[in-house]
Amino acid sequence: MEATAAEAARTRRSRARLPTQGRGEALLLLGPCAVYLAAFSIFPLITSLVRSFEDYNTRTDTWRWVGVDNYTQLIHSPDFWTVVENTVLLTVVGVTIQVVLGTALALFFNQQLRGSAVVRGILILPMLLTPIVVGLMWRALLNPEWGLLNWLAVKVGIGQVGWLSDPNVALWTLVLVDSWQWTPFVFVIVYARLQALPQEVFEAGSVDGANWFQRTLYLTLPLLAPAIVFAAVFRAIDAFRTFDLVYGLTNGGPVEATTTLSFQAFQNGFEFQHYGYASAISYVMVIAAAIGITLLFKVVKVRRLETA
Amino acid sequence: MIKPGRRFGRSVSYVVLVLIGVAGVAPFLYLLMLSFKSELQTFDVPPSLHFDWSTITANYGQVINENGYFTYVENSVIVTGISTLIALVLGVPAAYAFSRLRFRGSDNLAATILSFRFMPPVAVAIPIYLMIRYLGQVNTFPGLILPYVAFSLPLVVWIMIGFFDEIPREIDEAAMVDGLTRPRALLQVLLPLARPGMLVAATFGVIFIWNEFMVGLYIVNSQDKETIPIAASTLLTVESPINFNVAAAVGIFTVIPVLLFSIVVQRYIVRGITAGAVR
Repeated sequence: MEATAAEAARTRRSRARLPTQGRGEALLLLGPCAVYLAAFSIFPLITSLVRSFEDYNTRTDTWRWVGVDNYTQLIHSPDFWTVVENTVLLTVVGVTIQVVLGTALALFFNQQLRGSAVVRGILILPMLLTPIVVGLMWRALLNPEWGLLNWLAVKVGIGQVGWLSDPNVALWTLVLVDSWQWTPFVFVIVYARLQALPQEVFEAGSVDGANWFQRTLYLTLPLLAPAIVFAAVFRAIDAFRTFDLVYGLTNGGPVEATTTLSFQAFQNGFEFQHYGYASAISYVMVIAAAIGITLLFKVVKVRRLETA
Repeated sequence: MIKPGRRFGRSVSYVVLVLIGVAGVAPFLYLLMLSFKSELQTFDVPPSLHFDWSTITANYGQVINENGYFTYVENSVIVTGISTLIALVLGVPAAYAFSRLRFRGSDNLAATILSFRFMPPVAVAIPIYLMIRYLGQVNTFPGLILPYVAFSLPLVVWIMIGFFDEIPREIDEAAMVDGLTRPRALLQVLLPLARPGMLVAATFGVIFIWNEFMVGLYIVNSQDKETIPIAASTLLTVESPINFNVAAAVGIFTVIPVLLFSIVVQRYIVRGITAGAVR
């Protein structure tokens, strides 16, 4: 009796606001991390914001305040809107494909098949690959003269496709490769959730005489919904800032058919040294990302991600 | 008794399983196949299979000798190792504090740190480059390590909070009753318990840093400091096409460390993705 009271008091104490000593401890534990991020994440992010209102002169290495000029230029540039469209299409179509296929894969692997562990292991690989190498692989596979996939396309009667050279096709090639690399991500999350579901639910469903399709539609999928939504939002935030795949696969071309916001900001900043304009583009992204993050943290509690 | 229909269904399932495996592995095999060819043979239609030892040694030899591949491996190991270590040293105590201590604004601070995981790197790439230039660290390992720690920290904190939350509070409270301060309790009692979590966090730190090149591309510009992806990106860009057979050898060389690493840490990877990590 006394012990439980003491325990309760201890718990209460540890949850209450910290005593002075505790504050020192918090500072010791958190301080270094917070200072580091302030220096190398928050400071650069604020600098970017300031720079987005300035213009950089390459010759004199100086900055000049131009107000919202960079942003007005952005809004009136047809290029920018093409790039926004590319980025949104890549994100929406790509993530939709990945969510559908990833969920289908999770349901598929839910049956006990021999050798499925090996295939699951293979599926993880693309996610870990250096994007440059992913780009190289697919440039080879899709080569219009001798690429394996191109040869197959001719064989089955589709004919030669300008996978990377046709402006109307290139973006969809990017979606295809992105989906090859990231469908497994959705799969892993949804599959983990599926494995964690209590078996009784499904047994009850079978007893009621529901067939596999009905059980999946009315039982499994609703139970998987939180994991699916989590994976989708997570993936969408990442797809939205796609840079390396574009760099490795198409370099943004042909013309601007596959240029994403990240890539355009990178080009303007590092290649053309239009630092101010590049900062404005990246700030549009920061704001969009912030909206995405708020959404994600609404879906899952920050501190309890694993139960998502 | 298995019904014939079910047996048919299972056969279909196995066919699908094999197809999924092929779709996953075919691009790798194709790359391997390309790296075995001479320059002329890469143009073969239909795609041909060659296995000529002298061609293979010529391709891979070029990557090792002319392109100095092992220097890049060494650089990558140094940069990735040190960055991941620093990120753990900074991130683990912070995650522990978030898991155990409640103070005003603690949830907001945690959310802010975690949200950096989703910030577009391009938004900080230019200021970071200019900072590194200002600090005189262009073309040095610290120039790469400083930003890479910042990029992987949110991930480490994120993963570790989850793991610390799973360890019962009673354990550190018992340690503190025994007279340890909180930092000491973390060091002596909790760290051993949190080891699986630290391995997951380290795995994802390593994956991210090993593959990063957007920021590194401009910070480093001499061969003796380039990491694998930075070197690969200068060798393999769309703008500077090189022979595909040699490029494929570079690709295979780049895949091998990742492959070995993923076999060793596979279970941590699955654990980490479900904890909301990757990239």
